[in-house]
Amino acid sequence: MSEDLNQRIADAQAKLDAQKQPSGIEAARGMGVGFKMGSDFIAAVIVGAGLGWGLDELFGWSPWGLIVCLLLGFITGVKNVVAAASQAARQTAENGSTGPRNQNPEAGQDKGDDA
Amino acid sequence: MMVSTDPMHQFQISRLLPIQAGGYDLSFTNSALFIAIAVFGIIGFLAFATSNLQTVPGRAQSLAEIWYKFVAGIVHDVNHDDGKPFIPLVFTLFSFILIANLLGMFPYFFTATSHVAVTFTMALFTIGLVVVIGVWKNGFKFLKIFTPSGVPLYILWFVVIIEIFSFLSRPLSLGMRLFANMLAGHVALKIFAGFIPTLAVGLPVIGVFMGGLLVLPLVVGITALECLVAFLQAYVFAILTCVYLNDALHPGH
Repeated sequence: MSEDLNQRIADAQAKLDAQKQPSGIEAARGMGVGFKMGSDFIAAVIVGAGLGWGLDELFGWSPWGLIVCLLLGFITGVKNVVAAASQAARQTAENGSTGPRNQNPEAGQDKGDDA
Repeated sequence: MMVSTDPMHQFQISRLLPIQAGGYDLSFTNSALFIAIAVFGIIGFLAFATSNLQTVPGRAQSLAEIWYKFVAGIVHDVNHDDGKPFIPLVFTLFSFILIANLLGMFPYFFTATSHVAVTFTMALFTIGLVVVIGVWKNGFKFLKIFTPSGVPLYILWFVVIIEIFSFLSRPLSLGMRLFANMLAGHVALKIFAGFIPTLAVGLPVIGVFMGGLLVLPLVVGITALECLVAFLQAYVFAILTCVYLNDALHPGH
């Protein structure tokens, strides 16, 4: 009986939470994630190119430093974007399932605004 | 009646008070002026808002409280209780970037955050602080940020190289994002705004003002978007500072 009531309270609370979620901040978060992905990718490529060019200048490895480090930069950029995307996907999944079944609001580290 | 439509003109640094010291140019520029306005504006407003603290806050005090609680909330969300010592730092960065960005939205004002020198100083300071805090709190264990857990040994050396690249790209990414967003936004705004007088003169068939009126709603929209971006970039900078500080406090993911 009380189990059922608790369940219903949790359901109703989840519904209320879903309704009063401030959409402006949500949208800002999404845009922030997008900006982060883009600049992380470009920054990694630039760092690779810069590092490779520096090594070439320093040790006279002429094309090889730039080639290898630029490729490593690309790999890093892709890794950054994939990491950011998978983190965002995980958060979305957590957010989506904070409904009836999932009752641990502390699980989402980034989204813990239970105020 | 030629309106200046050079989109890059607004980013030019001009010396307001030339100072030469020891061969260095330490002039007080328009950039320095707007940095000073932002800094003293924030300090002045917060000092005013907290000068007469009441249990039931007035308008200024509520604004200051919301402002502070927003930043404290970001830090708490990412770093939990370990982040408490860093709330003043993140609050300072967030407030400065936000106010400098918003000041740039006023016509004829200079956008201090649209210059690499300003944004990279903040980014390098943030990453430098991350390294210092990480080494201070963890010693050699700080190097664990380069070795994610659960990676097999035969591929670890490669992952370490990638992680080092990733770490080096952080200050660049942090500084570049803010600078590029402010620069691109203001250039776009200027170019679209420049269409208004051009079209008003160039399309006399539709009428003197009609051509310009077609573009005006777009410029209003971009202005609104830029205000959002001004807030957003401050928010992103603050949240990424927290994320990087979290790496320093708890290396090894």
